[in-house]
Amino acid sequence: MVDRKEYDVLVIGGGPAGLAAALSASGTGARVGLIEREECLGGILKQCVHDGFGLVRFGQMLSGPEYARRFIDLVEGSDIAVHLETFVHAARRLASAGGGYVLECVSRDEGVFEAYAPALVLATGCRERSDRQVFIHGDRPAGVLTAGLAQHLVNIEGVLPGRRAVILGSGDIGLIMARRLTLEGMEVEGVYELKAEPSGLSRNLQQCLSDFGIPLHLLMTVVEIHGKRRVEAVTAARVDLRGSVIAGSERLVECDTLVLSVGLIPENELALSLGLGLDPSTKGPKVDQGGGAGEGIFVCGNALHVNDLVDYVSESGEAAGRDAAGHALSIGAAGGTAAPGRRVAVKAGPGFLYAVPQFIDLSRPGPAVIYFRVNSTLREGARVSLSAAGETLLGKRYPALRPPEMERLEIDPGRVPEGCDSLWLELERKEADLG
Amino acid sequence: MKLDKLRSALRKRFGDGVEAREDRGSIVLEGQLPSWEARLEAGSRAVGAGSRGVVNDIVADDCAWAASERLDSPRDPGRDEGEKGLEGLSFDVAVIGGGVVGCAVARELAKWRVSTILLEKEEDVAFHASSRNDGMIHDGFAARPGSLKAKFNILGNRLWEALAWELGIEFRRPGSIVLFRNAATQALYPAFAARAAMNHVDGWEYWSPRRVRAEEPNVCDGQHGAFFLPSAGVISPYRATVALAESAVMNGVRVELGTCVKGFEKEGDRIARVRTDRGDFRASVVVNAAGNWADVVASFADDRFFSLHQRRGTDMILDSQAGGLQRHIMAMPSIMQAKSTTKGGGLVTTVEGNILVGPTATELPGRESYATSTSELRTLERHFRINRRLLPSMAITYFAGVRACTWEEDFIIERSRRVANLVHAAGIQSPGLASAPAIAEEVARISLDVLCATMKVSPNASFVAVRDAPLELRRLSLEERAKAVSRNPSYGRIVCRCEEVSEGEIRDAMKSPLPVRSLDAVKRRARPGMGRCHGGFCTPRVMEIVADELGIGIDEVTKKGPGSRIAVGMTKSGLGEGFRG
Repeated sequence: MVDRKEYDVLVIGGGPAGLAAALSASGTGARVGLIEREECLGGILKQCVHDGFGLVRFGQMLSGPEYARRFIDLVEGSDIAVHLETFVHAARRLASAGGGYVLECVSRDEGVFEAYAPALVLATGCRERSDRQVFIHGDRPAGVLTAGLAQHLVNIEGVLPGRRAVILGSGDIGLIMARRLTLEGMEVEGVYELKAEPSGLSRNLQQCLSDFGIPLHLLMTVVEIHGKRRVEAVTAARVDLRGSVIAGSERLVECDTLVLSVGLIPENELALSLGLGLDPSTKGPKVDQGGGAGEGIFVCGNALHVNDLVDYVSESGEAAGRDAAGHALSIGAAGGTAAPGRRVAVKAGPGFLYAVPQFIDLSRPGPAVIYFRVNSTLREGARVSLSAAGETLLGKRYPALRPPEMERLEIDPGRVPEGCDSLWLELERKEADLG
Repeated sequence: MKLDKLRSALRKRFGDGVEAREDRGSIVLEGQLPSWEARLEAGSRAVGAGSRGVVNDIVADDCAWAASERLDSPRDPGRDEGEKGLEGLSFDVAVIGGGVVGCAVARELAKWRVSTILLEKEEDVAFHASSRNDGMIHDGFAARPGSLKAKFNILGNRLWEALAWELGIEFRRPGSIVLFRNAATQALYPAFAARAAMNHVDGWEYWSPRRVRAEEPNVCDGQHGAFFLPSAGVISPYRATVALAESAVMNGVRVELGTCVKGFEKEGDRIARVRTDRGDFRASVVVNAAGNWADVVASFADDRFFSLHQRRGTDMILDSQAGGLQRHIMAMPSIMQAKSTTKGGGLVTTVEGNILVGPTATELPGRESYATSTSELRTLERHFRINRRLLPSMAITYFAGVRACTWEEDFIIERSRRVANLVHAAGIQSPGLASAPAIAEEVARISLDVLCATMKVSPNASFVAVRDAPLELRRLSLEERAKAVSRNPSYGRIVCRCEEVSEGEIRDAMKSPLPVRSLDAVKRRARPGMGRCHGGFCTPRVMEIVADELGIGIDEVTKKGPGSRIAVGMTKSGLGEGFRG
């Protein structure tokens, strides 16, 4: 038998979501174990040396490492048990009364051990889509890399991935890397975006592209890579509004590097192995306002849906940590059962990409935060309202809405009327944006 | 006369653009045609017109570049010239080509007291076709009865199980379900059975639609039962090739990677010396296992009695999470497939637990052209109909390989008729992987026959058949794993999250009997980067380990040998500005 460590809450992932979850769970008095695969805490923030983190939360522009440091310092000053360089090989739910989860862990310093807790927080983050997933064809030479990998090579390893880069995708990491590579002396030939609009935050478009004179080619994509050993060129082509390549528009772009910023996918392999279903629109589990996915599993941060700002990741981590601790402690108090509260579904109407959470547990105290994204740019802004059984519970007017930018609403669960089983998020657009 | 008939047929079809002549039994086609398709058609028509092979030297206007691959040896601008470590050496046997056939031949020869050198132009074995196929150990049903393919496939299929055990690699026999799509194909069962009997296939059964459904609950609706071939197996083709090469090295074979054959020096009807970019050396016997360059190697010895054409195959790999949706290999060929030169592809359950979809079969020029295309992937989509639960969106990657095909579409396994000490293992396309152990036995036998004329050959009493399997931590029980980690903590540091590969496993691979110098070579052995994130997370970590083991800078690490560095230099500060703790 291998060693078994017992906690009230086990948090998997030591990035911003996991750090916040561990801290908030620990703050309620729960015994918390935090498991991190890498040699130090911080997750992706470790390599995000640019600033822009923490504006919402701290009212300051911090770099990624600075933002992470604020949480890491608190963790180091707490009694949270941090397991670094520890990998969760498998997770299983105990069938016995009270349930709970056992994680089979593999660690360089602690060997192989099991960890048990009645509540589990999945803060596993997300991964990048690769060239294969966006169906770029042609050769497979060195010099094709995701923006996150390029960022790691430059900011952590201190090496330069190439001399002349083409960047596909105008997501935030792609824009950040356009600037970073330029500052390091690489030539960025241009950023290519399949859609008619850029995918990144407005501030990044200005600060990373415009300020450096890097061209943004909308409605263009990369269809083929050339080069036997190292990238020699790519074929770029124009696309129509449906994303189909316009025949005859192909042109060869010489470069030695192709950087891909073509989307992020929540990492939910553990969630799937525990039998959680995924919401097809978020690619994350369906949860309540505390990240609760049922049976003592809580999910937060980018594992739930891909966030635009780390501040919201921390916010969702805190909610998940608090509720996970509440679950664990109530099981202890109730001798093995935690009664679920009454839930209503949150449904996003036409015009939305998605809304998270998918449920609100009405028994939970305090306001519930609903995050949402719209599916097209509304330059004239819109009014977003939440209604139940035809009755508008709250409404908020937004001056402008863009799909890359996540928005949030807060609702007091106590205002949800008796007998209603779903809340609807509705969008009232201006005339000009309806076409 | 057959040649006259061919000439008039070609003139009728292509006008004066093409000429056919006979050269020592082979039919040689020359001239110019507008398209690659026309060139292919001319090549196929020439089959059978001579007593030997077809040499197709027609230039296609739309692929004129391919003509430069006709007789040149492959060029590699990235290679460091100047080092001549092989100059003046002498070997009993020189094997050209580090694919599965060359490596299996080298290991077979190691059972005898002969000195063997294996030459591979790339930085690793299994660089080309042997790492670019579906890993199937075919049952032998599909090969044309009477062909060398049929003979060696059956023999090879019987050898693989024990060989895989010796090599410490995984081999499974999931069996192959060939579905009948309608009553008409179902009626072909007796013909299928007769063909299987003719090829001496090891067992076959008729499965009713109910039986198929019971065995494979996710099978499509409307199937009419199946022809089941229990002997069909799967293996990891690159791991098998690496294991064969390692076993050969452990038993005294000298494997020289990054060494390209440039020609031969002949004395009379024999090859006296092998010329390479790393020096010239003497060899008593030369084995041509040069894959897609085998006709070029034959031409170096003035024995080009055949030429190769390339048939590209694209395979798609589905996420391991879909692996549980199917147990057997499944295919649903159309009636048209029966007349085709290929088997049509299907759904293969790999040893790693993924499902592989493919391969396609498309005639395209380029001996080493592995570009994939949208149309190839679209061709694969029909296979998704076989299993109701599989979706194209489950694909995590796809890749292409190139089959080395003679115009006769059969293997060439023989002692050269013109060069006394040259042995060909050429035109080894599918089912080459399945056939490799049997081909190796035959080629080794011929080689030893040649050697016996000039020297005494005795068995190698110290041959060690068993190669210890590299440790794979994720496959161990928790207790075994705990022991391994306490012995060596680097087994506890997981570097590749998708495939769960530890630092220790990567270091083991780097210390194996064959030199390992690149990320792809590490990937072939220990699998980091094979999973759904394609190395997005683990690449820098693997780079660090490779740089550490090789004693080089991290910016010098390559993806696949010279000319393929991941990084081109250091950043301005040369330091990472993020933090690592």
